[in-house]
Amino acid sequence: MLNVTDLQSGYGEMQVLWGIDLEVKEKSITVILGPNGAGKSTTLKTIFGTLKPWNGRIEYIGQDITFLPPHKKVELGMTLVPEGRHLFPNMTVKDNLYMGAYLKRAEERFEDSLELVYSLFPRLKERESQKAGTLSGGEQQMLAIARALMTSPNLILMDEPSQGLAPKLVKEVFETILKLKDEGLTILLVEQNVFASLEISDYAYILHEGKIAFGGTVDEVKESEEVKRAYLGV
Amino acid sequence: MAFVEQLISNLLYGAILGSVYGLATMGLSLIFGVLRIVNVGHGAFIMVGAFIAYWMFILYGIPPLISLFLAIAVGMAIGLAIYMLVVKRLVDAPELASLLAMFAIGIFIEEFAKQIWGADYVGYSWEIGGVSMLFTEVPFTKLLAFASSIVIAAVVYVWFRKTKIGKAVRAVVEDREGATTCGIDVNRIYALSFSLGIGLTVLSGVLVTLFTPVGINVYMGGEYTLKAFVIAVLGGLASPWGAFYAGFIFGLIENGSYTLLGLIPGVEPFGLTRFLSSVVLMLVLLVKPTGLLGGE
Ligand SMILES: Nc1ncnc2c1ncn2[C@@H]1O[C@H](COP(=O)(O)OP(=O)(O)OP(=O)(O)O)[C@@H](O)[C@H]1O
Ligand SMILES: [Mg+2]
Repeated sequence: MLNVTDLQSGYGEMQVLWGIDLEVKEKSITVILGPNGAGKSTTLKTIFGTLKPWNGRIEYIGQDITFLPPHKKVELGMTLVPEGRHLFPNMTVKDNLYMGAYLKRAEERFEDSLELVYSLFPRLKERESQKAGTLSGGEQQMLAIARALMTSPNLILMDEPSQGLAPKLVKEVFETILKLKDEGLTILLVEQNVFASLEISDYAYILHEGKIAFGGTVDEVKESEEVKRAYLGV
Repeated sequence: MAFVEQLISNLLYGAILGSVYGLATMGLSLIFGVLRIVNVGHGAFIMVGAFIAYWMFILYGIPPLISLFLAIAVGMAIGLAIYMLVVKRLVDAPELASLLAMFAIGIFIEEFAKQIWGADYVGYSWEIGGVSMLFTEVPFTKLLAFASSIVIAAVVYVWFRKTKIGKAVRAVVEDREGATTCGIDVNRIYALSFSLGIGLTVLSGVLVTLFTPVGINVYMGGEYTLKAFVIAVLGGLASPWGAFYAGFIFGLIENGSYTLLGLIPGVEPFGLTRFLSSVVLMLVLLVKPTGLLGGE
């Protein structure tokens, strides 16, 4: 579904990604693991287009989307749940969701999407008319995922959805991600939470200093003592 | 008693003029709020609106209220052109770049206008009678300006709060990256906001002419740039609604103090407009730099 080859990018003069190759299969969960500053967020931002690729190629559902602006990618069914949520804090929960359905294609499915979102996160329904900024951390993370779902996506890029959450909520978030897969969605996940994310994923990549150090099925990662010792710190 | 009567009638006049001041500042705040660009050439666009009203009236006998529609259309077209040709490239540049660009554009517009209209003061007078209220005679033209300002501000408000595109503008203001993930084309929202901001500013220039019967001149903008900055700072700089309310407050302060200053022998209060504006600006910045009304 998503094919990335030799992806390079960075900030200003500083190169961060030095040629990333990765593949995301349809209806799977793929996780990118790696230490702080490895370039995980940079990878997602470059794929989504908030950051311009310097080199390489991004192919999505058979199309070359390397230099497509982000809103065009959303049109094609890709979206990003960014690190730090990036909600609209002074807008209500409902308006945040409404903005998720901004594009015509998504707006046409607004009612269905809303129903799905409220069945996944009943708490958001209760808080419908509350300002997003007044939600708890866990609720905000749910809203961030919910808003992404409102774009009616096929592929969701998620940057550390469990960040800053209490263990019980972390579990809830991972369960939600599994449910999304059952709904037929494809997920490319970035996580610090190695064990929990390997538990739900099908494929894993280890990112190290802007390069892919290892890629394969989750079982392959789990079996590779070397990978575990060198990169996962377990 | 004469003093109280004069104060009241000045305050009434201040409130009426203040509504136009408020409207004349909304565009500045909108552009700053969405694009974080300070339009230091603001007054030049007010001047363009004033000349639109003047020309329409003198050449075709079209009353200013009708010219409002032309003014917003022309203003939005100018705004869009400036955005596409200049501002688009400067949104993410250092602030000084856009500041200087807007400064240059303001001067360019003034000099361009001088080629068309010359450097003399001109004016027109639209006489439609008046009404007596609160110890003074208020011309209907000014009441119409007052009513138009409120209606236009209300329309913009509802557009922001209730329409999808208005909400998208707010979303971009609140979180640009978040807006991107919703599929909002941020660049289009910038273009629209800039264009609307300039459109509102040109439009307000039409209403300004109802208060300055012979004060239309290609360099008239400077005074309004100053006042708009005072009002914008009063209202919290980034909020068009804050700006609108602050316009009233500024109108009241300005005209209220004319009465007080008039008590000082040898002082000609109306000559102190700029002085008053700058004093208010400095006071607000000293007391509460984020704006007295907070703002969103
Ligand atoms: N906006 C930015 N401007 C400049 N440099 C940046 C920016 N964002 C990240 N970097 C740098 O790029 C490198 C990779 O950052 P990135 O955020 O992709 O790491 P990460 O793997 O997501 O780390 P974390 O686990 O801490 O989120 C780091 O050295 C970081 O300092
Ligand atoms: Mg990161």
